[in-house]
Amino acid sequence: MTETLIATIVSGLLLGSLYALMASGLSLVWTTLGVFNFAHGALMTFGAFVAWTVAEAWGLGLLAGAVAGVGAAALAGVLIELLLVRPFYGHRNMLLITVMTTLAAMIILQNGAQVIWGARLKQLPPIVEGNVSIFGAVVSAHEALIIVIAPLVLLLLWWFASTTRTGRSLRAVGQNQDSAALIGIDVPRAFSLAFGLSAALAGLTGVLLGSIRFITPSLGAEPLVKAMIVVIFGGLGSLGASAGAAFVIGMLEAFLVLWLGLYWTPSILFLLLILVLVFRPNGLFGRANA
Amino acid sequence: MTTSLLEASHIYAGYGEVPVLRDITVHVGAGEAVGMFGPNGHGKTTLLRTISGLLRPSNGTVHFDGDDVTIAKPSDIVGRGLVHAQQGNMLFGDMGVAETLELAAFKPRARAGAKAALERVYALFPRLAERRKQLARTLSGGERQMLSIGCALMCAPRLLLLDEPTLGLSPRLKEELAVAIGEIHESGIPLILVEQDVEFLLSLTDRLYLVEHGEVAREIDQASAPDHQEIMDMYFGTAAT
Repeated sequence: MTETLIATIVSGLLLGSLYALMASGLSLVWTTLGVFNFAHGALMTFGAFVAWTVAEAWGLGLLAGAVAGVGAAALAGVLIELLLVRPFYGHRNMLLITVMTTLAAMIILQNGAQVIWGARLKQLPPIVEGNVSIFGAVVSAHEALIIVIAPLVLLLLWWFASTTRTGRSLRAVGQNQDSAALIGIDVPRAFSLAFGLSAALAGLTGVLLGSIRFITPSLGAEPLVKAMIVVIFGGLGSLGASAGAAFVIGMLEAFLVLWLGLYWTPSILFLLLILVLVFRPNGLFGRANA
Repeated sequence: MTTSLLEASHIYAGYGEVPVLRDITVHVGAGEAVGMFGPNGHGKTTLLRTISGLLRPSNGTVHFDGDDVTIAKPSDIVGRGLVHAQQGNMLFGDMGVAETLELAAFKPRARAGAKAALERVYALFPRLAERRKQLARTLSGGERQMLSIGCALMCAPRLLLLDEPTLGLSPRLKEELAVAIGEIHESGIPLILVEQDVEFLLSLTDRLYLVEHGEVAREIDQASAPDHQEIMDMYFGTAAT
């Protein structure tokens, strides 16, 4: 009984960690540019595939693969911003247009991955082999590592946004573009930096997930949907709220799977999302005036 | 071109299909304080936005310190020391006062003197010093104006564009800001001051532009200043008297 409980909690923490990494990237782009990036999940898939190619197909090892995966995702993110988002800044239908263009990017990346890497299932090796025992429950060391890495990455991101000059300038651009430009911040450069950083986070998630799940062209689809639930649940716009909501959703999902089974879980999560939106339209941790 | 610090010549600009500025020419000499007044919606703010690079003119040129900055990026224009404090500006709502001021010294040129500039801003506006940690969106209208001017000072300005810094403020606060703006100019920073209140402008500036229908309707020199009644006539039309 306690073993099941601990295993479920660990599973919840794992899901929460992955969702938090995904959601923080989505949130970063949303707060800086006011764009909801539907290609975020596909960027994650792309990162995982590139990591696999470098690490497995070329045999250069996991570290080189991870670096390549994160870097390739970041580069793809910068390109998406440059080609599919930037031409529409200042357009009065920018939000709708970028929904379409980022959806297009998602389809291009997904089908491109299908063409390049084919449909055969691929998997990355775990970062660390073996198992660890947490309070009697056996967990793979790789999963335990993810649970440690995710909060560290989030802390690093928070430190970057709140104390560094560049991080602060991204927040300034998100809050008032004209004012940011008038104190000397290069706004277009801040946009491409936000997109690149967000995509790098997606790539990292892909590398971490790529050894737990099979890498397929649609690897990122389900995490993207969950990350969307998370950012809406937490209230779009703040890193802390997104991270908090990610762990709430992850934990909920783990326990729903335990109690109700895999089939009902997504429905219940969406039902909860609707309830949150009805009673707290700005999200669970959102400010009323946000 | 000339010895002028700022020379905006024959500017045409607008928003989309709507033209706002029509062949407007203004200049600011070294050390000068220039006032700008005129009815709302006749192009004062648009002119400042064009000078600071937020808006591209469809025609005309902007020269700052001899260099053509007509199509320069706003961030580069700030880097040269041409600094624009916007009208009714709430800056960054979720940032604290001190954090905002520190960030405003963004360009390398401004960073060098950031410490001294910060002390100067706090000395000029003691209220900002009291509210260091407060978020910008919780500040009063007057405090926001102070923060906005403070930010502009943090950018190491060589010319300051102030767009209606006293808009909607009480007479007492207005007086407080007038003193501060006077001190800023006396410390050697040239400025363009946009205001509705001509008396206020006359007390702070050497020369005035009346902007109407997107052009300079009249230029008034303090030395040969017309009397109060004449300016009122210009502003409101003779029918108002």
